[in-house]
Amino acid sequence: MSIDIFEQLGIMQLSDSFFPSGLYATSNGLEILIHDRKIKTANDLGELIKIFLKQQIGPADCVALCNTYDFIAKNDFEKIIQTDQTLYSMKLIKEIRETSTRSGIQLIKCVQSFKDDKFLKLYSDSITKGESTGVYPVCFAIAAYSLGVKKEHAATMLLYGFTIGMVGAALRMGIIEHFEAQKIIDDLKSEIANTVQKNINKSISEMWQFAPELDIVQITHERLSEKMFIT
Amino acid sequence: MSQNRIPRVGIGGPVGCGKTMLIERVVPVLASSGYSVSIISNDVISKEDANRMRLNLATKRGLLPENLVVGLATGGCPHTAVREDPSMNLAVIEEMETKHQELDLIIIESGGDNITTTFSPALADYFIYIIDVAGGDKYPRKRGLGIETADLLVINKIDLAPLVTANLELMEKDAKAVRGNKPYVFVNCKTDKGIDQVASHIMHSVLFDEPPKAQQLKR
Repeated sequence: MSIDIFEQLGIMQLSDSFFPSGLYATSNGLEILIHDRKIKTANDLGELIKIFLKQQIGPADCVALCNTYDFIAKNDFEKIIQTDQTLYSMKLIKEIRETSTRSGIQLIKCVQSFKDDKFLKLYSDSITKGESTGVYPVCFAIAAYSLGVKKEHAATMLLYGFTIGMVGAALRMGIIEHFEAQKIIDDLKSEIANTVQKNINKSISEMWQFAPELDIVQITHERLSEKMFIT
Repeated sequence: MSQNRIPRVGIGGPVGCGKTMLIERVVPVLASSGYSVSIISNDVISKEDANRMRLNLATKRGLLPENLVVGLATGGCPHTAVREDPSMNLAVIEEMETKHQELDLIIIESGGDNITTTFSPALADYFIYIIDVAGGDKYPRKRGLGIETADLLVINKIDLAPLVTANLELMEKDAKAVRGNKPYVFVNCKTDKGIDQVASHIMHSVLFDEPPKAQQLKR
């Protein structure tokens, strides 16, 4: 697969932890699992991330991103709003919804500050009007598209970003060290690739997420008064 | 810059130097002059500071609504949350700016961090760096971005100076040498010594001595 140099730079820019999205402050509930000693090892962490990818991020966030790409190509902005609202309604935990939209909106604003693009503007305006929520995967799709990143690559970046967010949180909480962190990421590459392939052509009506135990973990974490991470 | 932008003051400094206490002392002075203030507290491991300020300033004294004291977790990266990637702070502030145009000022407290703390100019219009004498009278001399570049340097807990053998004259001399003409204030938050000066700096340099919005609307 050949990659245009500007697409490659767009991929690097958006995937870089230097890109401001605020997501470094989240752990998706991992903090309480570590605190309760339900996640103790690098292997536990890898398995947990796989569950997230299979049950939430793949079938919901990744499908939303891919559909947003397709609707941009078809110039169908109404369907993008529908994708935004559908994904938002699937995020059951208040703090997860808030974080997703807060980081999504900041992402759009950031890219808009250096990129003039029709869909960036349309979507930004629809957020201001309250028609769209600004949920992160849809924002990410619009931003990546505007930087010339192809759909498959953007989907891979989204899943990779989620993975390094979780691994980074675990590293900061001290259950793994930096070499282990890279090994986990390396081990998860095939899972990420498979999840992209499985979800890249699904329609919005096929979007789903089902991880009730993780929902309970996240609700419990959300209610903690002492915590290092946003849920 | 948005026309709706509400002036913002960032307050940073090491763990335990008195950032929360400074806010608890300055806000009543600003409120007594009629200014409407909200607070965002970036905590490192809890929402304890936000909860304390909400209790002391909102619940007990009614100086601001309880929902205008917001605690933000920073994922163990307090410096990142106010400098390299202030996305979450900006998101919360923009929500406040949309819903609470009556506000005159937003105070952003950073999580306790080291002497290199600074605020992103996109986040704060004015930066107060606070240290305390118990950290040693070498602090100003050691420089660091916070001490050097802050718009106002606050040196707190001056009552402890004799107990920790900190030389206040030396700290003042070093602060002048390191900061040039930029202001500094010696403070004792327990007795409010110096607090009026800090509030005056905010009213003059951030609010430009304009009357509170509520008073402007009555005119």
